[in-house]
Amino acid sequence: MLNIKDLHVSIEGKKILNGLNLSINKGEVHALMGPNGSGKSTLSYFLSGKDGYEMERGSIDYNGKNLLDLEVDERANEGLFLAFQYPMEIPGVQTSFFLKTAINSKRKHHGLPEIDALEFAKLIKSQAQELDISPDMLRRDLNVNYSGGEKKKQEILQMSLLNPAMSILDETDSGLDIDALRIVSEGVNKLRNKDNSFLVITHYQRLLNYIKPDYVHIIADGKIVKSGDFSLALELEEKGYEEISKTA
Amino acid sequence: MIKDNILNDTSMENLSIHAKEILLEKNPFKNFKIENYRYAQLHKNIESQSDTVKSPLHKDLTKLTTDISHNTFANIDLKPTIDKWGFSNSDSFFRVSSLVHRTSISINLDNFKETSLFLNISNISKNITIQKKDPQLKTLVLLNYNCDDETPKSLIFNVAENANLEVVHYDVSNKKSFLYFEVKQSNYSNFNFASFQSNNTHIRNEFFSSLAEKCNFELSGLNFNNFGVNDNYSFIQHVKPSSSSREVFKSIVNNGAITNFQGKIYVDSIAQKTDGYQMSRSLLLDNISKANNKPELEIYADDVKCSHGSTVSKIDQEQIFYFNSRGISKEVANLLLQKAFIIETLDIIQTKDIKDFSIKLLDNLLT
Ligand SMILES: Nc1ncnc2c1ncn2[C@@H]1O[C@H](COP(=O)(O)OP(=O)(O)O)[C@@H](O)[C@H]1O
Ligand SMILES: [Mg+2]
Repeated sequence: MLNIKDLHVSIEGKKILNGLNLSINKGEVHALMGPNGSGKSTLSYFLSGKDGYEMERGSIDYNGKNLLDLEVDERANEGLFLAFQYPMEIPGVQTSFFLKTAINSKRKHHGLPEIDALEFAKLIKSQAQELDISPDMLRRDLNVNYSGGEKKKQEILQMSLLNPAMSILDETDSGLDIDALRIVSEGVNKLRNKDNSFLVITHYQRLLNYIKPDYVHIIADGKIVKSGDFSLALELEEKGYEEISKTA
Repeated sequence: MIKDNILNDTSMENLSIHAKEILLEKNPFKNFKIENYRYAQLHKNIESQSDTVKSPLHKDLTKLTTDISHNTFANIDLKPTIDKWGFSNSDSFFRVSSLVHRTSISINLDNFKETSLFLNISNISKNITIQKKDPQLKTLVLLNYNCDDETPKSLIFNVAENANLEVVHYDVSNKKSFLYFEVKQSNYSNFNFASFQSNNTHIRNEFFSSLAEKCNFELSGLNFNNFGVNDNYSFIQHVKPSSSSREVFKSIVNNGAITNFQGKIYVDSIAQKTDGYQMSRSLLLDNISKANNKPELEIYADDVKCSHGSTVSKIDQEQIFYFNSRGISKEVANLLLQKAFIIETLDIIQTKDIKDFSIKLLDNLLT
């Protein structure tokens, strides 16, 4: 699915990712954990294709394609999805309209006709209900005056509607209370199947109690310093980042 | 020569910066302080434009009356009266008072049974006075397009006590156009004015409003300026206590166009409890277009609530990225963000058919 080799990325001449290797297969859930400033968001932005990053070395293969050959919207339409740590507010654009436009962009990319209005209404209603998002919120402007938790739920709603092959969740758990965390995790777990993959970025082990990863990686200073299974997350919780990075 | 090219190449794709700069040279206000917009020498503006440069709104407007059901709408029929008196030859700045010599047409909106009325002012050169006395809300749609000459036009609205009136103005002149609106509101009256402008030449609209006690006045403006110069000037006077005014002006400027907005809220010393609000925002789509916004407050009462704001910005690339990351292309994202920017100006329209029509019109304008 996603194969990152020896990735070196800098921002404005400042080196952020330092020889990062990560390989994610179909059907796998990987967790990426690391202290603030270790490069987690940089990795997710770079994968999604955001401007302003310079790749000095490395390669990224996505489903047999060179990811870097694809524009941001092409990556998305080819099934790459990033749930943002800080979702953007878009005043003047109604949430449900945005969702419909996104769905139709993907359908167009795959040569499908636009989604039927009734079908969309049903789809969005059921998905929103599962995430405890009120119909009223769907009528409001996208992410405007949403609480932190509502913004994160909105990201997960977008993810469920677009049904991506490769989802990256950048600290989706931060700022969520325990109820919201449970709802969001259930949303992710429902999507999991043998054909799609997840990279769950988090600071805390807490989220991983809900979304059980197959692999856990620890990132420090822009590279992965240790990989393991779920027990690594527990070990991290016990010892802290510094200790773990030292023993790496 | 270059200008002809500019005018004929509506796509603007291959337009050089140089050519655009030549256009910018035409900015009539270059040598004036912003304060002097009112007194700009209009004759120095862009020469009369070729008819081939038409605003995209044209074809929509010509269909307008066939689009909407006829039971609730009526056309006000005024014979075009063209007197070939324009301001293109005048030597000095144009004064509204010079319109006075022309005969005036008076229209009483309460005489019509329909709730929405169309008035094509394109080729009318008389002064028009509009009366509204009844509390029942009426919507007057003003059309200004395909003008045959550049004669300034003046419209005066007399809104009587307790009367409710809504005006929606579509201005898509393909020639220079100058419209002067004056609103006189009596106690307890409500007046909404929405003005949608799309021009490639030079248009100027002036709004003068005077508010008595406990009146509401809302003014929404939108100009989509793809090429020429667009001026809007507003002067809202609160002369009696407890009235409110709310003004929102948006402009999208592109292809080296210039938009100028100057708006003043004036509050007389006896006009206590005035609630005044004014916001002007411009969105620049390129690096050579210009927006000059000048909000002004002049307040002589001490117990009032007045605020104003003004912004000039570009499309937010972070927002574009967010759309892109959801599979939505740059082009579509750009359009949606432009629409998001202007949509607020439609809020004040209360008549659903007119509002829907306006949305459709703006959609066509942006695509
Ligand atoms: N736009 C930027 N310009 C300069 N430095 C940046 C920018 N974005 C991130 N950084 C720096 O890159 C490093 C990694 O940041 P980030 O990827 O956000 O870390 P994380 O998500 O792991 O907390 C930090 O030192 C941060 O200050
Ligand atoms: Mg981060």
